[in-house]
Amino acid sequence: MQTLQPQNSQRLDELKYLRDIFNAQNSKELKRAFDALDSLISISEEDLEVQFNRYFVGPMETVADPFASVYLDNPDVFMSKTTLHVRDLYETMGFTYSLKNVVPEDHLGVELDAYYQLLFLEEAKEITYLSDLRHYFLHEHLALWIPRFLERGLAQSEHASAAMIFILMQLKSLLIRETTTTRSS
Amino acid sequence: MSYSKEKVESILNNGISRRSFLKGLAASGVLTSLPGGILQANEDLNTKIPYIGQKNYQTFRNACPRNCYDTCSIKTYVKDGVMQFIEGAQESTYTRGGCCVKGNSYVKRVYSARRLKYPMMQVGGKGSGNWKRVSWDYAMETIAKKLLEMKKEDGTLLGAALTKYSGNFGITHYGVEGMFSSIGYTTRLAGTPCWPAGIDAQNLDMGDMWCNDPEEMKDSKFIILWGVNPASNSVHSMKYIYEAKKKGAKVVVIDPIFTEAASKASQYIQIKTGTDGLLALGMAKIIIDANLHDQKWLDANSKGYKEYKAYLDKEIKLDNVSKITGIPLAMIKELALSFAKAKPATIWMGYGMQRHTNGGSMIRAIDAFVAVSGNIGKYAGGARYGHLSTWGFNYAALSQTKPEGSVGYTGLSSIKGEFAKESGEKAAYTDRSLNINKTARELLNAKEPKVRLLWVACKNVFSQDFDRNQLIRTFQQLDLVVVADQFFNETAKWADIVLPVATQFEEYDVNVSYWHYWMTLNEQAIKPLFEVKSDVEIAALLSKHMNKLESGSCTFPQSVDTKAMTIKEFNPGIYEQFGIKSWEELKNGPVKAKAVIPYADGKFKTPSGKFEFYSDKALELFGNALPSYVEVRKPYDKFRMTSPHSRWSLHSQFQNLEWMEDMHPEPYAYINPDDAEAKMVQEGDTIAVFNKQGLLRVKAKITDNVQSGTVLLYEQWYNNNIYNVNELVDDTSSDMGAFKTGAPGVALHDTFVNFRKL
Repeated sequence: MQTLQPQNSQRLDELKYLRDIFNAQNSKELKRAFDALDSLISISEEDLEVQFNRYFVGPMETVADPFASVYLDNPDVFMSKTTLHVRDLYETMGFTYSLKNVVPEDHLGVELDAYYQLLFLEEAKEITYLSDLRHYFLHEHLALWIPRFLERGLAQSEHASAAMIFILMQLKSLLIRETTTTRSS
Repeated sequence: MSYSKEKVESILNNGISRRSFLKGLAASGVLTSLPGGILQANEDLNTKIPYIGQKNYQTFRNACPRNCYDTCSIKTYVKDGVMQFIEGAQESTYTRGGCCVKGNSYVKRVYSARRLKYPMMQVGGKGSGNWKRVSWDYAMETIAKKLLEMKKEDGTLLGAALTKYSGNFGITHYGVEGMFSSIGYTTRLAGTPCWPAGIDAQNLDMGDMWCNDPEEMKDSKFIILWGVNPASNSVHSMKYIYEAKKKGAKVVVIDPIFTEAASKASQYIQIKTGTDGLLALGMAKIIIDANLHDQKWLDANSKGYKEYKAYLDKEIKLDNVSKITGIPLAMIKELALSFAKAKPATIWMGYGMQRHTNGGSMIRAIDAFVAVSGNIGKYAGGARYGHLSTWGFNYAALSQTKPEGSVGYTGLSSIKGEFAKESGEKAAYTDRSLNINKTARELLNAKEPKVRLLWVACKNVFSQDFDRNQLIRTFQQLDLVVVADQFFNETAKWADIVLPVATQFEEYDVNVSYWHYWMTLNEQAIKPLFEVKSDVEIAALLSKHMNKLESGSCTFPQSVDTKAMTIKEFNPGIYEQFGIKSWEELKNGPVKAKAVIPYADGKFKTPSGKFEFYSDKALELFGNALPSYVEVRKPYDKFRMTSPHSRWSLHSQFQNLEWMEDMHPEPYAYINPDDAEAKMVQEGDTIAVFNKQGLLRVKAKITDNVQSGTVLLYEQWYNNNIYNVNELVDDTSSDMGAFKTGAPGVALHDTFVNFRKL
């Protein structure tokens, strides 16, 4: 592996941890990824998961659904036009997705995974073949819905959670950084 | 930013560009450099020119399994594994290519962002809202451990209770009851909140509940829609009613409420609630006095006509009928005589009418009127209520044996249900039955052993059962409440574990109707989303964990395939009735049972084999052998409250979807203008509707569709709203139901309230 500039290593790591937060299958995985972000927030595994579920998973109505289609197509529905557009993008990027038709491709965790892998190619492997697709994915897709997702999540006042606000602010920083960073040389 | 949007879109949208791009991707070594995650490098990258245009639809056969007369046959269109739209199957002359707005919203329902996605456990106590994701294995192991612990401590599993009703009427969903049978003798919430008094009434009169094919109504010469509102709740039946009307038939709606169906009728007759039976008795007297009754049919096919006529002669005074029902005598006479003169003539009786303390007696009185008029056993005639004549499946998923050595309840008969009955064989032990219509109280009061675990499936207890405050206390007292559902509702809120359940599009099943005569295969059209499972798969997983902890503790198969389970439900009788050789023929579309006219051969399944005006069974069970006038429950508050179904939901299903929320976002109390004026309430005012049971705050809508003295509130679940009309309903029983369904119904429409402006 090529040596990464520290700032690029951090950029990738933060992206990976956020990805892992949204893809966590249980409280342990969630806590591990959360702690890796150095939040300085002290919270138990269980409390973290309870708050995460209240915001993003359910079973009650969530604060902010982590699906692009909810913000771009219809606030009540996933697996719609945007999901299929993202599916098409992944296929063009050379990905397969074992949860196809099970978890929509435009779930935030999956999208962050795609973005992380594409950025990794460029930053760690110095392969730029998919760079145009990464930028397209960022500017024509992620940047269109994540701000609305953040707005909804950060507007939450009842049961407001410092940990969730931290996660959302990290995501916000990441989005700002990525959308304002040009391709690294 | 250094990228070309146009270039990327060309790759995405132009087949040649994409092939070239993918070839480069395969050759560049990119794929081997991807770090991998949820997404993996595609090692079998297809570098042929991809088809960018519209992909073909795959089609699947589905059925709407909701508790609805219409049980639509559906054709589902799927592209790349994603449901695109559904339509009513053209092959069914009943569904005839169309679904209702609820059915047409199925794509939005399946892909609703609000669906339950994962098994979850409420860690902060019931109602805390603190939920944790758990694996299926963890959830089922937790439940299995609890069951085995209870069995060890109590020596029986009667401490485990099941409440399941009409959320999904697919035949394999009786596997939920099968799951409970397979663990031992348990406690069941038995009976039906829906239609039991009427079922008993029809069984007392005719030995069965068996209605003519609704498609025949197109040839009826006179149709009375009595307390039924098909324009709202059985929309597919309306085309036959319209056709009959077009051909000259008279369509009369008798209802306390001016309904959508009333607006389409030739005549609307507003009757005072709970007096329908008396009206039918009066009408019978009129046609007998006019010698328009069918004496020949009555002589050949009935028992007790003489006693019935003597009762009418002695007890039924037409002036009183008019006074009590609120209908002018001339109108009653005209109605009775014109019905008797039209042949064939038919009456469709709604289920709301029998949700009274005298409900069964009213259905018996109307049956008797139709019999007197000579319209029983006739094409396009009949006293229509419902039927289960096409439900003769194997109930393989239901029929599970008890584990060896199971200990249960002694001395009482087995569970009854109106759709599928468990074996009635005499056994040393049985399950314990609790009245489903008194769920809160019965669960709380059950002793030796007390109920500690409750499993809720295909049912939203907090929306459909009574006495919410008591229900909360009951749920809180239970050690473990498991709710298997598709959406998070008020019942799930009070659960310890919620299990996400598949929609019909994610499993195989087979469906028939309690109204029409079609059978529809339900194919799995898409993969189950997230971690949802069908009810029988959940049962299998429970069995796996029970047996892992204690071998032989559960007899349910430990691994199931919903297609194989569905195939097991068919038998030669079903094939013969529907004129097919194999279930596979259903892949070509729904099929209809061979035509049969109920009771045309004059054979009734009553003890006498005849239509029984005089029923010894009725005398034995309900103290009244004849169809006779029974006064409805006396008011205990100022206004009667009626809580019918709305057209925007199916009980608590569908209302939480976008289209329905858009059209009908919140509950209202519908009040007559005179009553509103007396209480100084104006349209849109927030009012309190209250009685000894509880209080609801709702907005008022003022309409003379509702008669003075009545407040109407629809029964349904509104998302993000704790409104539940049943908070005002006590659990007073209707007169009948215990004969055929195990428990009497609930006199829902004999609820009384007061209201005031807030």
